Amino acid sequence: MLLKGAKPPAAPSTINWVRAVSRGSTSSSKSIFAQLKTYARLLHPISPNFLAEHTTYNMSTRQGSSPNPALRTSLPTAFASVVEESSYAHPTQEEQDKYLQARPGATARHLGIALQHAQQIQAQKDAEGMILDRTIELLEIPTSPSADPTTPSPEDVQLFKTALQLFRPGDYDNLIMERNYEDLCGYGLCPRKNRKQVGATGSTFHFKYGAKGSGPGGRGRAVDIVPRENLEKWCSDECAERALFIRVQLSEQPVWERRADETEDIRIELLEESRERRQRQKQKQKQKQKQQLEAGSSKSASTGPQSSESDITAGLRDLKIQEAGRSQELALERGDTGLSLRKGRVDVQLKEKEPSSQSAPTAPQLGPGDEMGGSIEGYIPQEQLEESSNTLKDKDILDQL
Amino acid sequence: MDGDVSAHSQEAEKETTRLWRTFRTVYEMLADRGYEVSDDELAISLDEFRQKYSDPMGYPDRNKMKIQARPTKIMEMKYTLKTKSNPNPTPDCGTVYVDFCPDASGVGTKQVRAFNHIVGESNYHTGIFITQTPISPSAVRLLSSLPNHICEHFQEQDLLVNITRHELVPKHVLLSPEEKARLLERYRLKESQLPRMQVSDPVSRYLGLRRGQVVKIIRKSETAGRYASYRWVI
Repeated sequence: MLLKGAKPPAAPSTINWVRAVSRGSTSSSKSIFAQLKTYARLLHPISPNFLAEHTTYNMSTRQGSSPNPALRTSLPTAFASVVEESSYAHPTQEEQDKYLQARPGATARHLGIALQHAQQIQAQKDAEGMILDRTIELLEIPTSPSADPTTPSPEDVQLFKTALQLFRPGDYDNLIMERNYEDLCGYGLCPRKNRKQVGATGSTFHFKYGAKGSGPGGRGRAVDIVPRENLEKWCSDECAERALFIRVQLSEQPVWERRADETEDIRIELLEESRERRQRQKQKQKQKQKQQLEAGSSKSASTGPQSSESDITAGLRDLKIQEAGRSQELALERGDTGLSLRKGRVDVQLKEKEPSSQSAPTAPQLGPGDEMGGSIEGYIPQEQLEESSNTLKDKDILDQL
Repeated sequence: MDGDVSAHSQEAEKETTRLWRTFRTVYEMLADRGYEVSDDELAISLDEFRQKYSDPMGYPDRNKMKIQARPTKIMEMKYTLKTKSNPNPTPDCGTVYVDFCPDASGVGTKQVRAFNHIVGESNYHTGIFITQTPISPSAVRLLSSLPNHICEHFQEQDLLVNITRHELVPKHVLLSPEEKARLLERYRLKESQLPRMQVSDPVSRYLGLRRGQVVKIIRKSETAGRYASYRWVI
């Protein structure tokens, strides 16, 4: 549909798809033209190595229905389908040929890279649009005004969690701001109004007193000085905790730079869910400990106090500094996992080359003509060459005489 | 009690005066952009403004202050690009709609959505949304997301004085596509070789410039009398 829009002046087909790329922005078609030109300019100084890496970007495979694979993996599946549907990001062979004919210096590779960049920018714009849509959707929940933030309805939770997968902490802050503008508590699953006019009116800070005995040395009360706007974001301190618990789980990486599986890996947990899970874990641990104690007591009953000593020595014997399982755990904790562990990455290992010759390098020797300045790294300047040949000629003549 | 009333009326008076200044600047801005604005509208006095747009309490009523203006022939000419393939093009400008947001704080996506709806529904080419406070980041994005329409945002305090009337701000004149082509040919330039100016520049916001346009800046010069330079809007 976009391709059949009003025809701009020169090279209409190319402008059309490029225009479509910056669809949604207020810029005119001319500027996009310029944009593409800047791409082309950027592309020229790129080193051959870079180009070689990107030659997988095949022009013929991209046209038609199959989108650029790099693009597909870098976006959530829902968004990839949108990109697939849109024809503007994948101009037909005819349009590409026309574009290239108008530019004698450009090759198909240039066009391919320009297109890739255009698609990336479009992907970013579309992703931002999607986040905006989700933000607006999240203003509407919870659907029932009597919903309880501690036990939200499953549909709301589902919607909330899937929407937040795309968000960065900054986007989440925007959501909170929007909700406050609508007189709602900043926590997405709370239907109550946010607090207004906490403490004295007109003051920018609020004193929050803790429980009795919470002060230094167990005496008095702890005092927190909190900016009032931070307090007025929420309906209660509980909701603030819930909302901030979700904020720390969001990924800093923008959606359009994530890999597809990375977005799916973000599992957002509500505070209530997390507490429940932890309690269950604790109970399990307690049960285990109980069982162990029972088992141990039955054993120790027979051997007496000696067994505890032998237990310790056995434990010390089993203690290893380098245990495969634990070191892996530690590496994971430190974030030391190799790149090869991530899916889709090529495992690259560097090998140092052994020096081939053992002999020491020889000192340079004075060659013929070196007194004149000699060669510069093997290159003999034109003037010197002429001079030396002249002298040779002179000599020859002298000899002949 | 009496003091309270007078404090109220003072407050109302202050706000009315401020809004009157903004209102006048908006009309001047529309006139400078090339829309049809009558002399009466341009020279509206404070008393007239008060009579027309204040509510019974004396405060200005922003809901009444909606402006529409059609482009003049000159402006239409500046925004049409004639080419061989398209000898009778339609100008890339149209009726403008100005809306003053009545909400004193917290302007978010809700208000912008309503504004976008009006602009889209009535099919105005350009919409100018004027608020008292800054709008949220999502609202800014939403404002620019309306396809085929141009939506701009100003704060009332930005338009309190007309910046282009300041003595240090030179005259900016928008060039039509033909004038631009002639300029580039005369100096044998590509447009990218011109000096640049941002779309977010206060003057280019005031004039509603778009990417790729060229403005001629005319300054006074002690030696040459007048000196013209050009800026490519990016």
